[in-house]
Amino acid sequence: MQYKSQAVAKPYFIAAIGLFVGQILFGLILGLQYVWGDFMFPEIPFNVARMVHTNLLIVWLLFGFMGAAYYLVPEESERELYAPWLAHAMFWIFLVAGALTILGYLMVPYAKLAEMTHNELLPTMGREFLEQPTITKLGIVVVALAFLFNVGMTVLKGRKTVVTLVLLLGLAGLAVLFLFSFYNPDNVVKDKYYWWWVVHLWVEGVWELILGSILAFVLIKTTGVDREVIEKWLYVIIAMTLITGIIGTGHHYYWIGTPEYWQWWGSIFSALEPIPFFMMTVFAFNMVNRRRRNHPNKAAVLWALGTAVMAFLGAGVWGFLHTLSPVNYYTHGTQITAAHGHMAFYGAYVMINLTMISYAMPMLRGRTAANSERSQVLEMWSFWLMTVSIVFITLFLTGAGILQVWLQRFSENPQGFMVVQEKIALFYWLREIAGVVFLIGLGTYVASFFVGAKEPEALPEGAAASA
Amino acid sequence: MSQTFTKAMARNIFYGGTVFFLLLFLVLTFDTTRALPARDNRAALTPTVAHGKAVWEKNNCIGCHTLLGEGAYFAPELGNVYKRYGSKEAIIGFIKSRPVEGIPGRRSMPQFNLSDKDLDAVAEFLKYVSEINAAKWPPNIQG
Amino acid sequence: MSQTVVIAPAPGRYPPGDLAIWIFILAELLVFAVFFAAYAFARAGDVALFDEYQHTLDRRAALVNTLALITSSYFVVRATAAIREGSARDCARWLAGAIGLGALFLVVKSLEYAHHLEAGVHLGTNTFYMFYLSLTFFHFMHVLMGMVILGAVALKARRGGYSATEHTGVETGGVYWHMVDLVWLILFPLVYVMR
Repeated sequence: MQYKSQAVAKPYFIAAIGLFVGQILFGLILGLQYVWGDFMFPEIPFNVARMVHTNLLIVWLLFGFMGAAYYLVPEESERELYAPWLAHAMFWIFLVAGALTILGYLMVPYAKLAEMTHNELLPTMGREFLEQPTITKLGIVVVALAFLFNVGMTVLKGRKTVVTLVLLLGLAGLAVLFLFSFYNPDNVVKDKYYWWWVVHLWVEGVWELILGSILAFVLIKTTGVDREVIEKWLYVIIAMTLITGIIGTGHHYYWIGTPEYWQWWGSIFSALEPIPFFMMTVFAFNMVNRRRRNHPNKAAVLWALGTAVMAFLGAGVWGFLHTLSPVNYYTHGTQITAAHGHMAFYGAYVMINLTMISYAMPMLRGRTAANSERSQVLEMWSFWLMTVSIVFITLFLTGAGILQVWLQRFSENPQGFMVVQEKIALFYWLREIAGVVFLIGLGTYVASFFVGAKEPEALPEGAAASA
Repeated sequence: MSQTFTKAMARNIFYGGTVFFLLLFLVLTFDTTRALPARDNRAALTPTVAHGKAVWEKNNCIGCHTLLGEGAYFAPELGNVYKRYGSKEAIIGFIKSRPVEGIPGRRSMPQFNLSDKDLDAVAEFLKYVSEINAAKWPPNIQG
Repeated sequence: MSQTVVIAPAPGRYPPGDLAIWIFILAELLVFAVFFAAYAFARAGDVALFDEYQHTLDRRAALVNTLALITSSYFVVRATAAIREGSARDCARWLAGAIGLGALFLVVKSLEYAHHLEAGVHLGTNTFYMFYLSLTFFHFMHVLMGMVILGAVALKARRGGYSATEHTGVETGGVYWHMVDLVWLILFPLVYVMR
């Protein structure tokens, strides 16, 4: 760690991992409810558990992004963070606000929560992923602005690099687009149209800028490849991301009452959305192959490569599967969407956060570059457990989705939703088993922070031979 | 090999391309806004429907159901439920009759204890949604 | 890259211009190719409709525009040749000519759009008009973009920013303009003429 103030990243990373565990536990509850309908009913109905599952995901990813920014911005800008105290204050505000919101979901009925927080003054609740009470949303805006100010001032006063510039652009876009969550017209079509400006333009737009810049940073640090080369790649990749991704929003405008030309515009541009992800995979492997040194933190390099591959598979390939409008006509709103959602979020955003945490945490905990050999081995085990199980979750959900589409929408005698759900229950059981393996992987991951903590640092490959 | 591949050019393409496609997106959004009145059934947007949407949101219906294919995939599509059930009364009857403790072993909808006014409004809202021109989606009445 | 290593003399370098623009051009051509393929696919599904409405297009205007773009491409070639001889002023002049022809293209196309607008045609009218308007407008924006690029290059040329040995920028801008021209040369027969 080169700058003292980078240390503010540590609580952010710890909170992120803690919330991640919570997210997965609720994911298992949801998976079980799919096959054991009245599990925890009526105390925790499905909608509440799902809200907790998705909101925890969003919040912990944001914690991770902020931690990543606080860690890499001082190092890139070659100066201390503008206001470390502000970062600490925002951490607690965000954590408390987030915890209260989640407790609100769990303790009182949602309608009661809406009344308690006076949702009627500015109704924004009750829309997928944007279920937070309006007051929480305002809190998110305040935290985001304070965070942007802090990071922005650090960048402005220090060295400006492409990595920080792209990161800032992505974070600023994240904050600006979130403002559309306050627009909730009575007209359902308009509501949905602009809802996607938050959701799609986040995950298939500005978040990819954040992802790209964090990946670039970790690759610069671990491979020692010339910064010029990596930054050029970064620009080309994010250019392709936005060129395809902005109009690609159209793949959500097929069946929500918007004009039918979106079926063409959306299909054409979103069919090209895998390109930037493919380039990212090529880029990551290329850089690692051209490395000038072997970094002792092998786990971080594994996560970085894993991100590139899994983001391409989840966001690129599984996205392409159902993005063309004639296909989407049948798959829209089925388990196919769920399959894609799970692998894309894990591959792109979970993994980039774990990459950054893996890279930064050893330094934040007082190591020079890497954890002990034993700790890293355990961490790499967790990588494989989680990654392989998410692949299986995706495959099982895809299987469920294909059957669902066939029985409910495509066959000669379409059957009712609930009838079909019972017929595909086997896939949900298999998905739940894969989910349990994922939890074991996550447990292994958490354990890797404690195992071998007192042992000496791992040496880079080949270091002993050349010494 | 004497090739140039400059960072400045990569940067210009990024900024130029982003602005270009953002503008194009805004143009398409403008055209969509212009075309919506003919498709989005706004004539049916009464205060009752608006209240119905508020009831829909306040009870987090999207947490289990899909509406025009968007939402959770745990319970049936409701964008066309008015057509599937055939009347507002049938919808109201279903929501009203959910057992508090659920149905043993099966997925159950919670009992929301809605007032008659709320029930009527949410049914009216679902009727309004079913009359939006959604390009012939869903493929059949099962949603 | 700031350390402008004296790269081997520009003529003979292949491909001309910055490699980054070629990646971009490939992506753009891919988008257009998919768009054209979609057009062909949709047309095969309803040839009668496409033929019927194709008649409402103004082929003379499109021909004028084709000639304007071809000529402008020639001007860009002359501009590149001029800077290779070291004549920045001539280079800027040829580029200004190309930009002028680009403007002519935009005016003619706008008149066509005005005509359609008057007739009440819009994206939702039918599949043919959807494709016609989408494709031509998408290309229209590319012409505009190309003009901005050529404008920036021309300004830099006039200020003496290029020389006989270092003029990658002129080539880069030129290559992009040729791409815009090339796309029109496919679009014109496909949408206006072919039946």
